[in-house]
Amino acid sequence: MNRTVLILTAIAAPLVAQDARQIVEESQRRGRANSQRYEGVLEVTGADSKVTRKSWQSWRLGSYGNSKAVIRFTAPAEVKGVALLVVNHSDRSSDQWMWTPAISRDRRIALQDRSTRFFGTDFSFEDMEERDAEQYDYKLTGEEAIAGAACWKIEARPRQTKTSQYSLSRIWIRKDNYVPAQYENFIKDQPVRRLEQKDIQNIQGIWTARTLEMTDLRRKSRTVLRLEKLEYNVPLKDEEFTVQALRRDQ
Amino acid sequence: MILLRLITWPYVRKHLLRSVLTTAGIVLGVALLVGMQTANRSVLGAFNQTVEKIAGKAQLQVSAGEAGFGEEVLESVQGLAEVRAAAPVIESEADPGLPGQGKLLILAVDMTGDRSLRDYEFDQGEQDVMDDPLVFLAQPDSIILTREFADRNHIVSGGKITFDTMQGRKQFTVRGILKAGGMAQAFGGNLGIMDIYAAQSVFGRGRHFDRIDIGLREGVTLEQGEAALRTLLGPGFTVEPPSGRGRQFESLLGVYTLAMTVSSMFALFIGMFIIYNSFAIAVTQRRGEIGILRALGATRGQIRTLFLGESAVAGLIGSAAGALLGLLFARTLTGVSANMLESMFGVPQNVQEVVVDRGFLLVAIALGTGTSMLAALIPARSAASVEPIQALQKGRYQVLGAGENRLRRNIALAAALLSLGCLALSANRLFFFAGFLLTLLAALLLTPFLAHELARFLRLPLKWLRPVEGALAADSLIQAPRRTSATVAALMLSLALVIGQGGVARASLQSIEEWMTATLNPDMFISTTENIASHGARFPPTMQLELENVPGVAEVQAVRMPRMQFQGYPVMLVSIPMESVARRVKRHITAGDEQTMNRLAAQEQGVILSENLAALVKLKVGDMVELPTTTGMLRRPVVGIIRDLSNQMGAIFIERSLYVKSFKDDTVDVFRVYIKPGASAEQVRTRIVDSMGSGRRMFVMLNRDVRAYVSRVMDQWFGLTYVQVIVAMLVAILGIVNTLTVSISDRRRELGVLRAVGGLRGQIRRTVWLEAAAIGIIGLVLGLLTGAVLLYFELQAIQHDISGMPFAYEFPWGIAAALVPVILLAALGAAILPAESAVRGSLVEALEYE
Repeated sequence: MNRTVLILTAIAAPLVAQDARQIVEESQRRGRANSQRYEGVLEVTGADSKVTRKSWQSWRLGSYGNSKAVIRFTAPAEVKGVALLVVNHSDRSSDQWMWTPAISRDRRIALQDRSTRFFGTDFSFEDMEERDAEQYDYKLTGEEAIAGAACWKIEARPRQTKTSQYSLSRIWIRKDNYVPAQYENFIKDQPVRRLEQKDIQNIQGIWTARTLEMTDLRRKSRTVLRLEKLEYNVPLKDEEFTVQALRRDQ
Repeated sequence: MILLRLITWPYVRKHLLRSVLTTAGIVLGVALLVGMQTANRSVLGAFNQTVEKIAGKAQLQVSAGEAGFGEEVLESVQGLAEVRAAAPVIESEADPGLPGQGKLLILAVDMTGDRSLRDYEFDQGEQDVMDDPLVFLAQPDSIILTREFADRNHIVSGGKITFDTMQGRKQFTVRGILKAGGMAQAFGGNLGIMDIYAAQSVFGRGRHFDRIDIGLREGVTLEQGEAALRTLLGPGFTVEPPSGRGRQFESLLGVYTLAMTVSSMFALFIGMFIIYNSFAIAVTQRRGEIGILRALGATRGQIRTLFLGESAVAGLIGSAAGALLGLLFARTLTGVSANMLESMFGVPQNVQEVVVDRGFLLVAIALGTGTSMLAALIPARSAASVEPIQALQKGRYQVLGAGENRLRRNIALAAALLSLGCLALSANRLFFFAGFLLTLLAALLLTPFLAHELARFLRLPLKWLRPVEGALAADSLIQAPRRTSATVAALMLSLALVIGQGGVARASLQSIEEWMTATLNPDMFISTTENIASHGARFPPTMQLELENVPGVAEVQAVRMPRMQFQGYPVMLVSIPMESVARRVKRHITAGDEQTMNRLAAQEQGVILSENLAALVKLKVGDMVELPTTTGMLRRPVVGIIRDLSNQMGAIFIERSLYVKSFKDDTVDVFRVYIKPGASAEQVRTRIVDSMGSGRRMFVMLNRDVRAYVSRVMDQWFGLTYVQVIVAMLVAILGIVNTLTVSISDRRRELGVLRAVGGLRGQIRRTVWLEAAAIGIIGLVLGLLTGAVLLYFELQAIQHDISGMPFAYEFPWGIAAALVPVILLAALGAAILPAESAVRGSLVEALEYE
C-alpha cells in the first residue's frame, strides 16, 4: 500500500510542477508585448503615515527575460531627469545603470546592492527586474481567491544560477485572465514584501494591472504605483536603451 | 623597609632640595618620553580610529597608492565569486573656513550600495536620506554631516556649508545628520559624506576611485579573499585589511617616530647620570652612617639593597610624576605634531583627544625606575664595600685611585680601538651601531680623567682671573672628581645631543636650500591646496593649456606626485615632462651621464632615482626598477641618480606620459609655471587668479612663498627636536645645581674656615660661581668633542639606515659658539642658590660641621 502511494507521489510530483510552470509561462505569454510605455505615479506611505510622491516615465522594449527598460523620473523637481536603465538577461541577473544629469554621470548599480530599496519606495532594485520563468522552479500548492477572483497559488524558488535576495516567492495567478494578482516574497521563510496587482484592465488586448501596491511587511510601509497613459507595442529602438542614450536624452 | 624609613627618610628630609633635583632628572626624562610618544600615539590613534570607523564592515580594501585607479576596476572586483559587496570610496579633505573647526574629512561613497558595508545611523526623521537617496544622488551639492559637527556650528538639516572645490567655492546642502557615535566619530567628528560621483568632479578626480572596500562572501577567509583579489588585479594594487592603512601611515611616520624615540631615550640617559651623581655623592656623604650600620652587623647585601631601594623609590616617584607631566606635554605636542605631519605628508589630521596608553605608561615608569636603579648600581656597590674604619677618613672617597683611573683609561682605549675596528666593518650595520656604542662608552669612561685634567688645566686661568677664588674653585674640582664627573658627563651628553641635532638640522637645511635653489626654480607653483604635500584634490590636464594662454606665461610643467610603496619604503613617484624639466632645471647628478639620462627618461626608456632612495634600496644606474602600476608591472632601467629632497624616503622620477599610460591617471597635483623674461611674477599671478581662480580651487604661490613654506615645515620638524634638546639641557643644568649644592655641603667646614680667617662673602660667592663656570667649560669642551663624533654617527645612520639622505659633514660652529655663553650663563644661574646657601649659613655651625 505504502509502496503504491510512494510510486504515485513520485509520478504526480513532476506533473504538478510542470503545470505550475505552464501556468506561469502562459501568464507571461499573455502579458507579452514588443514594447510598452507608461507614466508612473508613485505614492509611498511610510510607517509614520508620511506620504511622498514621485512620478516617472517608463519605456520597455522586448519580451520577458530579454527586455530592456528605461525609467526616467519627472517629479519632484530635484530628481527630474534621473534615469535608470535595466537590461534583463535570460541566463543571469539584469544589469542596471543610473544616470544623474546634474553631474552628467552614469553609475552601474552592483548586483550585490539590489536588495536595497529602490529610491525610497518599498520596491527593491531586484523587484524592478522581470522574472524570467526559466530562472525559477515552480510548484503549484493550491488554489485561493484574491479580491474575489479565483487564483492558482504557486511557489517559485530561484535556481542556483539566479542571484536573488528572496529564497521563495508565492504567486497567485488569476484563473480568468492569467494576470498575477499577488506576489508574496520570503527571505529565509519570513514574508518580507507583498505585491498586490489591482485595477486589471484590458489594454490593447493585454490584461494589465494598472495599480501595483507593494507592502514592506517589516517596515510596515506601502508604495502604490499607478500606471497611466499605458501603451503597448509603441515604436521603440534598441539604441534608445543604452547608457549613451540615457546621457543623450537627458 | 625599616632601613629605608630609619636611615633614608631622615637623609632625604635633610637634603630635600637635592632629593627633588635628583628626582627631577628622571621626571623630565620620563616626561619627555611619555609626552613625545603619547603625542605620536595620539596622532596615530586618531588616524587608526578614523580608518576603523569609516571602514565599517569592510574586511579588505583595494587601493593603488595615491594614484588611485579607474572605475572599471570596480566592476571586475564586483564580479569576483569571493566578493559579497564591493563599495568604491574617495577620501579628501575640505576646509569649510569655520573658525576653529579645522578641516572636514570627506568620505565619498556610492549611496546606492554602500549600506551593505557601512551603517549610517541618522537621527529620528533623518533616515529618509538613506532610504531614499534619490535627491542626495541627483543633487551634487548634497552632503551629510555628523551631529557633533552640526551642533558645534549650529547647522541643521537643510542648512548650507561652503568650501572650495575644483569648480570654485561651492555651497553644499546638508541633507542628513549622522547620529553621534559609530562612524560619526571618525576624524574627530569632522566628517562629511558625499556622493562619490559628485566628489570626482568636486575634487578633480576624473573617473578614478581611491579604493574599494570589500565584504567577503560567507565562508571565504581573508586569505582566500586576498589571494583572489591579488590574482585578479595584479601587482599594482594593494589588497589588505583596513588596519593595513594604519601600518602604511606608521611607515610614513617612521623617521619622525625614530627621531622622537631616540631623543627621548637620550634625555632619559642623561637623567641617569644625574641619579648616578646624586647616589655617588650620597654614598660619600653617608659613609659614616654606612660604617656604623656595617659595625652594627648590617651585611654588604643589606647596604646594597638599601641604596638600590632608595633609587627604586626615587625612580618610581620621579617616573610617576614624569608620566603625569608627560601627559600634560602631550596635550600641546599632539596638536603641533598633527600640524607638522599634515604639512609634511599631506595626510589630514584631526586629533581630538590624547590617547593614554596605560601599558606604555607602565613601561615608561618601569623604564624610569630601572634607569634610576641602574644609575645607582655602582654607588650601591661602592656603599656595600665601605669598611667601618674607612668611614672616618673624610675625603678619601672623592679621590679616584690611580689604579681605578688606569683601569678606566685602559678600558676606554680598548673601546675606542674596537670602535675604530667596527667602523672599518660598518658595511655591516651591526658593526656600525656597535662602533657607536663603543665610542660612547669610551667617551663616558674617559670623562672623569678628562674632567680632572681639564680642571687642572683651568686652574691657571682661573687663578689668573681671581687668585684666591679661582684656585679654590679649581682645587675643589681637582680634589673631588667623583663629585663632578657624572655632572660633566650629563652636560657633555646634553651638549653632544645639541651639536648632533643642530648639525643634522644645519646639514638638512643647507642641503634643502641648495636643492631648492637648483630645483624649485619656477616663478610660481599652482596647487590645489595651500599645503603642497596634500594631493586630495587635483587639477584636470586641460588646465595646462589655459595656463599657457595667460599673457606672460612662458612654460608650464604639469606634475603628479603620488606616494606609493616601493620595496617597503613610502616613496614619491614624481611624474614630470622630462624634456622641459631637463631644459629648465640644473639637477645635481650623482650617477649617470646627464644627456643620456635626460634623453632616455624623456623617451620613456628609463627612470631616475633620487640619491637617497638609490642608497636605501641599493640600486645603481643600469639596474632594473619594477614599478607596480594599475595596468601591470612597469619595468624600466635606472638611467640616472640625482640629489633630490622632495620626499624623506626618496623619489622615483618618471616621464609624465609614461605615468599617464601606466596608471591611467592624467590629473595634475601641481603646475610649475615659468614666466617670460621681463614679465612680473605678481602681475602674471594676478592674471591667472583673475582668469581662472573663480572657477576652481587653486593656490598660486610665488617661488618665495614655496620656499618659505618648505622652510616653515623644516622649522616645525626641527622645532620638536629642539624641545627635546632643551629638556636635555635642563636635565644637565639640574645636574650642575645638584653638584654645586653637594659641593657647598661637603665644603661647609672649609668655607667656614675661609670666612673665619677673613674671607669675604663675595669671595665665597665667586668661588662657587667659578666652580660652576669651570664645570660648564669642562662640559662644553667634552660636549663639543663628543658632539662632533655623535654628528658623524647621526649623519651616517641617516644616510645608510633611515632616509638615505647623504648630508655633508660640517661641524655646526655657529651653534657651538652660541652654546658657550648659554652654558656659562646657565652654569652661573645654577650657582646662584648654592652660592647664597654657602654665604648665608651660620659660621659657628659651619666650623662645627663634622
